[in-house]
Amino acid sequence: MNSGSNNQISTQQAVVILINYILAAGILTLPRTSAEKVGTPDVWLAVLIGGAIAIAAGSVMAKLSERYPGRTFFEYSTAVAGKWIGGIVSLAMIVYFIAISAFEVRTMAEVTCFFLLEGTPNWAIVIAFMWIGIYLVAGGIDPIARLFEIILPITIIIFAIVTLLSMRIFDFERLRPVLGLGFSPVWKGVKTTTLAFLGPEIMLIITAFMKRPASAIKVVVSGVSIAAAFYLATVILVIGGLSLDGARASTWPTIDLIRSFELQGLLLERFDSLLLTIWIMQIFSTFTVTLYAAAKGASDLFKRGFKPFAYCFLPIIFLCAMLPKNINETFQMGDQIGHVALVLFGVVPLLFLVLSFLRRKRRGRR
Amino acid sequence: MFNPSIGEAPPSEDEAGDPLTGKFDEDMAVFEQWIENYDDVGIRNFELGVDSGIRAAVVYAEGLSDRNVLDRQVLQALMNADFDAGSDVPLADRVLRQMPVLKTKECDSVRQAMGQVLIGWAALIVDGVQGAFMLGVFKGVPRQMDEPESEGLIRGARVGFNENLHDNTAILRRFGENQSLFILKMKVGRRAKRNVAIAYIEDVAKPELVEEVKSRISRIDLDSVLESGYIEQMIEDSTLSPFPQIQSTERPDRVFGALLEGRVAILLAGTPFALIVPATLSMFLQSPEDYFERWLPGTMFRLLRFFALMVSLLAPSLYISFISFHPGLIPTKLAMSIIGSRVNVPFTALVEALILEVSIELLREAGLRLPKPIGPAMGIVGGLVIGEAAVQAGIVSPILVIVIAVTAISSFAIPHYNIGLSFRMLRFVSMFCAGVFGLFGVILFFLALCIHLVNLRSFGVPYAGPLVSYQFEDWKDFLIRVPLAAMKRRPKMLKPKQPIRKG
Repeated sequence: MNSGSNNQISTQQAVVILINYILAAGILTLPRTSAEKVGTPDVWLAVLIGGAIAIAAGSVMAKLSERYPGRTFFEYSTAVAGKWIGGIVSLAMIVYFIAISAFEVRTMAEVTCFFLLEGTPNWAIVIAFMWIGIYLVAGGIDPIARLFEIILPITIIIFAIVTLLSMRIFDFERLRPVLGLGFSPVWKGVKTTTLAFLGPEIMLIITAFMKRPASAIKVVVSGVSIAAAFYLATVILVIGGLSLDGARASTWPTIDLIRSFELQGLLLERFDSLLLTIWIMQIFSTFTVTLYAAAKGASDLFKRGFKPFAYCFLPIIFLCAMLPKNINETFQMGDQIGHVALVLFGVVPLLFLVLSFLRRKRRGRR
Repeated sequence: MFNPSIGEAPPSEDEAGDPLTGKFDEDMAVFEQWIENYDDVGIRNFELGVDSGIRAAVVYAEGLSDRNVLDRQVLQALMNADFDAGSDVPLADRVLRQMPVLKTKECDSVRQAMGQVLIGWAALIVDGVQGAFMLGVFKGVPRQMDEPESEGLIRGARVGFNENLHDNTAILRRFGENQSLFILKMKVGRRAKRNVAIAYIEDVAKPELVEEVKSRISRIDLDSVLESGYIEQMIEDSTLSPFPQIQSTERPDRVFGALLEGRVAILLAGTPFALIVPATLSMFLQSPEDYFERWLPGTMFRLLRFFALMVSLLAPSLYISFISFHPGLIPTKLAMSIIGSRVNVPFTALVEALILEVSIELLREAGLRLPKPIGPAMGIVGGLVIGEAAVQAGIVSPILVIVIAVTAISSFAIPHYNIGLSFRMLRFVSMFCAGVFGLFGVILFFLALCIHLVNLRSFGVPYAGPLVSYQFEDWKDFLIRVPLAAMKRRPKMLKPKQPIRKG
């Protein structure tokens, strides 16, 4: 009758966690960052390629975790790569999760401060946000999965309403010509779009909790695809609505898109508040997942309790979030975290997977 | 340390004190001694048969035992019966044979017999027979099974539970012939023991659930249980939660419907409120009428109630956040007219809303306690006169009066009183969040509320019910209500023994 042992998640819940984790700051910034890099209206192609790369990298991680059912990366890394290398990689991942957590919180504070709460200090917004976050994380993976199941439908419904309304100013001509300058501009944007899909790395942890770890790759494919649909819709609508230059010129192009039209005669004339609502919820879900991942990683690595780490990391995340002096430094911080992530989750899991195959083969020969 | 419950336990019926010997004078002396301090207990001495000379006595409690039954079925029957000394059938059997009383049992000691007399049994002591016959001659306190006042319906049976446990269990039986409806009786309370009945359908309810209910009830350690609310508070999962985790109802149809879904009902003697476990949030937003009416209106009512729930929870806080923090987010004309109407209001939006909200709560509370004829008058004075005057005096803006009134009406549309209470409390929390952080605060409040909801469980079942874990089969009876023919399964979240509804 007790719920204590109920620490498993279904395949559906794993997909929901993955989508909620991927969708974050990118919804508001991806049109700008990718348009800056690509420079032609073919941004959406870059998004598709980025999604494909994320699926590939995610599948590697899922495959790796599948080989060690019931154990998180932090538990099996030492078995795969030895005590030192495994430990250092695990530690690096914990630091990464803390850093990305801080980045998300800071981005949230910047947007909230700019659009909703002018004059309220950043730290107050961040602290309130983090308190609610720790309330969720302290309960473990099960409540996280269930809360995300509430957040995701709300996100989908509101996102659909807002994007459909923005069709009023959508102009298909702005998306043309397709591949006018060939394929090379698209490649320039792929790195940026791939970074928007950061998230499949959570498979290194949640595969251990899945009732059917064998479906981990399915989770990656469907999770990233649904997130890609969101990003694709965002990028196409923003560029079709604001044009390429408009997207490049604005800091938060998606909000500017929603702000650029008004509907008369409804209870709300402008819908940026709705978009911000779901966006804050999405940032919240990303923040809680990263905080959970960092604390879970530390507790698995050092074989200590989970909750103390979760509480200890809060002030660290807070301090990291307060490090950037302004919004540009925040974005730079995000870029740097992204570069680290490319190595940490693009290259390392592949090496680990090869290593794990080799080890098993050797053991089999003995 | 001083503990009043130790050392003076109430007379327990298991203890064999003062055994009944069968010698009439000795036994009666013990009884006389016992009833010295019970002036409501009487003794009637008589002789069996017309002239057999066998002495007998009836011990009964005034008011609890039915005097008519004692007169006719006991005294008259035994006095007129034939008790020849020559018969070889034992006297005890002869007495029982001659007495037209349905419920009888036997007791060995005065202590045991007195315990039973004090709850309505009558004790019959016969000279030469060891022990006492206990006669079930309870006097019922008849009460009509009126329509419950707290849960009215347009369409549906005009019947509600009353204070009599037997009537209540009987009404569950009357829903139809059903051998698998099990009713178990237990006793709760240390000092004043009361009967509790646990009802469930044996081949539907999950056995672990029934066991859990039994064990939680048996663990209740209270002097007495005055109302089923006592049981509710002693067996609920989380004491700190603002939400009721057990449904209480006066309607038998609601209870029976829940039993058919695989839930368990708890009925307490002396109260018309039955408890249903496990409860989920969605249950509190349902009414039996959703099923009695056709499915389209039923669905519409449901959606309306969910909407009402959100309005009653969030409307004042959204007003506060839009007015104090983001006037740019509402239509310009509306913003202008609200701000124009607030020119003379000296308070912030939060204080303004609190003033009105608190006075509405006061009105509601006052209206509840007043005698019925004065209640409506109170509403008119409070609502119309004070509301109008407050606007004229510039204490609140007319738009806010509308917002608060809509909120109050929405909260009346929630079919359960106690879930309405939860949301009334939470409304104040959300208003404070809005006052501090605006829309951001409301979002955080909503997230915190959802986190609490997904963490909450009622008897092992997630309180947020079908919303989480995506059990799409259960969604047929959640936000919408599909036609009855399409509801082939019992709720999956309850993990019933027999998942398919048959026959």
